[in-house]
Amino acid sequence: MKYAVALRRCLCIAALIVLAPAVVLVALRMPVFGEKLPAYGATINAHVPSMRQATNVVAVVNFDVRALDTLGEEFIFVAATTGLAVLLRGGRGEDASGKPVHTDGRRLPARSEAIALLTRWMLPATAAYSIYVVAHGQITPGGGFQAGAILSSGLLLLFLGDGYRSWRRVMPPISMQLLEALGAVGCVGVGLVPMVAGALFFQNILPQGAHKSPFGGGLIPLMNLAVGMAITGGFANTMVEFLEETREPEEGEP
Amino acid sequence: MALLHVLPWLAAAWLMAIGIYGMVTSRNYVHLIGCLSVVQSGTYVLLLAIGFVWGAGPPIFYDHPPGTPAVDPVMQALVLTDVVVGAAVTALLLALALQLQKRRKTLDPEELEPIP
Amino acid sequence: MTFVVAGCLVLVMLSGALVALTRRPPRQVLMISAHGLMLAMLFLALQAPDVAYSEIAVGTALVPVMFLTVLASARGGGRRNVPR
Repeated sequence: MKYAVALRRCLCIAALIVLAPAVVLVALRMPVFGEKLPAYGATINAHVPSMRQATNVVAVVNFDVRALDTLGEEFIFVAATTGLAVLLRGGRGEDASGKPVHTDGRRLPARSEAIALLTRWMLPATAAYSIYVVAHGQITPGGGFQAGAILSSGLLLLFLGDGYRSWRRVMPPISMQLLEALGAVGCVGVGLVPMVAGALFFQNILPQGAHKSPFGGGLIPLMNLAVGMAITGGFANTMVEFLEETREPEEGEP
Repeated sequence: MALLHVLPWLAAAWLMAIGIYGMVTSRNYVHLIGCLSVVQSGTYVLLLAIGFVWGAGPPIFYDHPPGTPAVDPVMQALVLTDVVVGAAVTALLLALALQLQKRRKTLDPEELEPIP
Repeated sequence: MTFVVAGCLVLVMLSGALVALTRRPPRQVLMISAHGLMLAMLFLALQAPDVAYSEIAVGTALVPVMFLTVLASARGGGRRNVPR
């Protein structure tokens, strides 16, 4: 029914045209771009660097001032990856299978030695870089979220170079699931550490350390580490689930 | 120039509008999920543009002393977590699309009737 | 400096429109990757290096790979489809 799509397109364009003057009015009433710093940010920029020995104020806001929001985001992430695993494994079972899906008319390319060598060199470099990013998260730009994304996309390099079977053998999915679970539990644990000493949830009471030191900032390096582990495990698990979908069951399996 | 005073707000509105248009007129669910990520990127542009000040540096005080003008760190913290978690939610939506393709053999919204 | 920010904004608007208007999913995946790169450049121009970090790693590498695997399994005919 082609006319349904055309009707929807006309309706959508008409609605957007009707709403356009409202958008222009709102844009004219918004504060002028780049003139005034919001008050909360100005306060944090003025006071936080002297209170915490951490020079990356964004990381301090993420993992200390608004650590509760980061905990919530972390659990959104865990819920999304869990839902994905439940959806995909529910229709397929839990075992790994061998052959890639055969589509008519397309040859599977042979394994290339150059790519295998290159990815074997690049993976340790990427892993070292991501550990550097997570360790220096509170001094220079970086942190747990970035490092997790970098490391999990580096793990894909192994799949590129060496093929699916050796990738799964080197990196068993159970280790990735454990990593993610430990990271999520670690986030909550880091928040509970001050409560053991009688302070509030997520209150930063650990010693602050030296200025510009990777171990400074109190709770922030621990939280960085926990979030980095969780994001790495989550994304790696997601990749394993998606790539498993592209495999064909062996003979005799359903 | 006056246009630059409102350009980020218009850019955010444009990204959302074009993403919604792409979603409404989509013939493939995977294409629809891509358009959803465009709508999400509109919100990132809006948040970061609110916290921006001309002539200020990033809120990292490693090289220069605290007190030099810097942009808003709270908005950056919001968008930072949003980017990563948005990718996870996109993955969940893609898994839903995959299951749909397995069961109904099609990814076209037009060909899917409600299950009687 | 104003031209850098304005140029990046215009590029982001352009790549966003290209993502929405490219109807074939395999082509749209590359557009999504390009859009992620333009967004990362805009975030750098807006003095946000942390956010640019996340956006490069996620929007250029991870999300397109997810899209490509879903397209590959969808093309394979959904052979592993046992509605149990």
